[in-house]
Amino acid sequence: MTTSTIGFDIGTQTIKVIILNNKTRQVVARTQAFAGFDPAQALKTAVEQALKTANLTQTDITTFATTGSNLETYPYPVITVSTMSALTKAGTHFFPQAHTIIEVGAEEARAVKCDDRGLMVDFVVNERCAAGAGAFIEAMARALEVKMEDMGPLSLEAERASSINAACVIFGESDVVSLIHKQEPKSEIARAVYDAMADRVSAMVHRLGVNPQVVLVGGVAKDVGFIASLKRKLGVEVFIPEFSEYAGALGAALIGLTKSGGNKN
Amino acid sequence: MKNQPQQQQKKEAKTVELKKIMPETTQKEIDTLNPTLKAASEQIIAQTLERLKKINPNRPKEMEYFDEMANLFGKRVEELKQAQAEGKKIIGYNCIFAPLELILAADAIPVRINSGWYDTSKLGDRVVPVEVCSIIRSTIGAKMVELSPFLELSDVLITVLTCDGMTKLSEILGEYKQVWGLSNPRIKDSEQALKFWNEEIKQIKTNLEKLTGNKITVKNLKPAILKTQKATKAFRRLQNLRKDDTVISGQDALLVTQTYMWDDIDRWTEKTNVLCDELDRRVQAKEWICPSDTPRVMITGTPMFWPDNWKLPSLIEEGNPRGILVADELCSSERLLYDPVGIDEWTMNDMLNAIGERYLMACTCPCFTSKDGNEDRINWLLTKIKDHKIQGVIYYVTRGCMLYAMEYTTVKRALDKINIPVYYLDTDYTREDTGQLKTRVEAFLEMLNAQIDI
Repeated sequence: MTTSTIGFDIGTQTIKVIILNNKTRQVVARTQAFAGFDPAQALKTAVEQALKTANLTQTDITTFATTGSNLETYPYPVITVSTMSALTKAGTHFFPQAHTIIEVGAEEARAVKCDDRGLMVDFVVNERCAAGAGAFIEAMARALEVKMEDMGPLSLEAERASSINAACVIFGESDVVSLIHKQEPKSEIARAVYDAMADRVSAMVHRLGVNPQVVLVGGVAKDVGFIASLKRKLGVEVFIPEFSEYAGALGAALIGLTKSGGNKN
Repeated sequence: MKNQPQQQQKKEAKTVELKKIMPETTQKEIDTLNPTLKAASEQIIAQTLERLKKINPNRPKEMEYFDEMANLFGKRVEELKQAQAEGKKIIGYNCIFAPLELILAADAIPVRINSGWYDTSKLGDRVVPVEVCSIIRSTIGAKMVELSPFLELSDVLITVLTCDGMTKLSEILGEYKQVWGLSNPRIKDSEQALKFWNEEIKQIKTNLEKLTGNKITVKNLKPAILKTQKATKAFRRLQNLRKDDTVISGQDALLVTQTYMWDDIDRWTEKTNVLCDELDRRVQAKEWICPSDTPRVMITGTPMFWPDNWKLPSLIEEGNPRGILVADELCSSERLLYDPVGIDEWTMNDMLNAIGERYLMACTCPCFTSKDGNEDRINWLLTKIKDHKIQGVIYYVTRGCMLYAMEYTTVKRALDKINIPVYYLDTDYTREDTGQLKTRVEAFLEMLNAQIDI
């Protein structure tokens, strides 16, 4: 029986779980669940579902590794991996040439710089406000009465962007309202939302230096509107792995596997 | 010297009738909030000390004294009250530019009044906007509810106008306490600057003599200088014990230096030496506080004040992975004590000039600049990194602290050149962001660990 490792990433909105085959290091299952009010229970449900998908039982699992926000207690014996280390590991796993790895999640944006050996040498985290993170898109979509998943494609229709201030989600929302009152086209406002976010994220990345290859992961890495804006702001190609939102969970699993020595099996 | 009487007149004319309570609060509120906040603070102090004992079961026995002194509402307050009743004056100060030797020579007692209380910063929000630095807001809040015994007992405050926050704090506190504003030049390396500064120092001397009725003479200034020189010597002894494998945690060392801000200086020196004796024995016995591969960290940035604003040192030393804090470059700790007053000849003029130089020239506060930036601070950081074998620096800034925030870029560039990782950590006077900060500090330590492993 092949043994496996489970990595999970406790995010502010969703919990991501992946199962990694210890030998092949291939992802054999992934699930996610809304974190909600009882994240420990949500985690358990997500893990059980992932095990079912992979056709495994808990006894096949040699290692549990966790990253993201720490829970007080876990239903499993876990190895804790810092978000930044998990991010570095996952980014360089997908793209060995990566030197800058950016993660934009629901409420946090962060970036790491790594050297040629794939070791993290510096990192930054966004300031307290969520204006550089996914929650910003959500709030703005609400103001524009657009579904969140339609925001990206809508923004791509714009030829120019309106201008909004992304210092803060709440003030950003009032900027959007005044643009609506000025009857600016929805698409241009949508693009302005992404530009403002990308401004914040790129300012953060510039503190580390924009060192190619630049990799983008996290839930927001699936948003075409944000990707387009970020590429414009950084002026370089941005590489995005498949299942980018599982980067943290994958990084945790890979580090957990190494730490526990489970790959010897 | 000639225009001194004129200056004195000008300053005296400023003295107005002092108000008792701030308009943003009421006596009734003070009566409820003061005991509540005091009780909460005493509990936090006790909890932090308990934690320090728990994380280090083999904690130096001589830390007991500093634990007692750490109680901001305890023994020291009673001593100050007693001294005041006997006619001694208490001089509060907001910044380490205040010339302690002159205060001591005039037989007055110096105490630092900056607030480390998180809760009172929320009260300060009633007076100034939230963008203002938390230390300033918290000190205002402490005044509002009369929480700080040291601030309340002060007969006069020496307020040094280093940054915008301190300058305006001086005005705000000046409505309730007599303040002597001490203005420092922003460029050190000019003759005018030192001349101006020395005049400021002489003015403080005159003010002190007038307040206390004690003339400052060679006879009392010399022992005062010797007193702080001895303290500096004891402090350096403690520092030397942290340059290699160490026998004292960074938090304990920080507690020792913090208590200097309100303790009796002779006793502090004696107790620090006794602690160092114990630590010397531990070095002999090789009773290291942590494994030798623990990442060696230094903090620099905004000053950090006991009791609440202790989250960063505790995150560094109690997290997973763990680091060891072996040095800091904070004006609330090591910068306070490192430099002695250097005397050539024990004449009044020489002594006053030496005091002026010690406070101005040796200071690495980011309020200074020169054509090469604040080069003294950069050089000092590089020296400390070398001496204490620092592997990573956490650059700590409270929001609203512009000078430290802006000087980060220069420091980062200098440390990049010598390949020392530095992490910018910004926070506020709040407990709520501890989880977030933990993630960052742990990631930084993990990063250092990964580099050590190679």
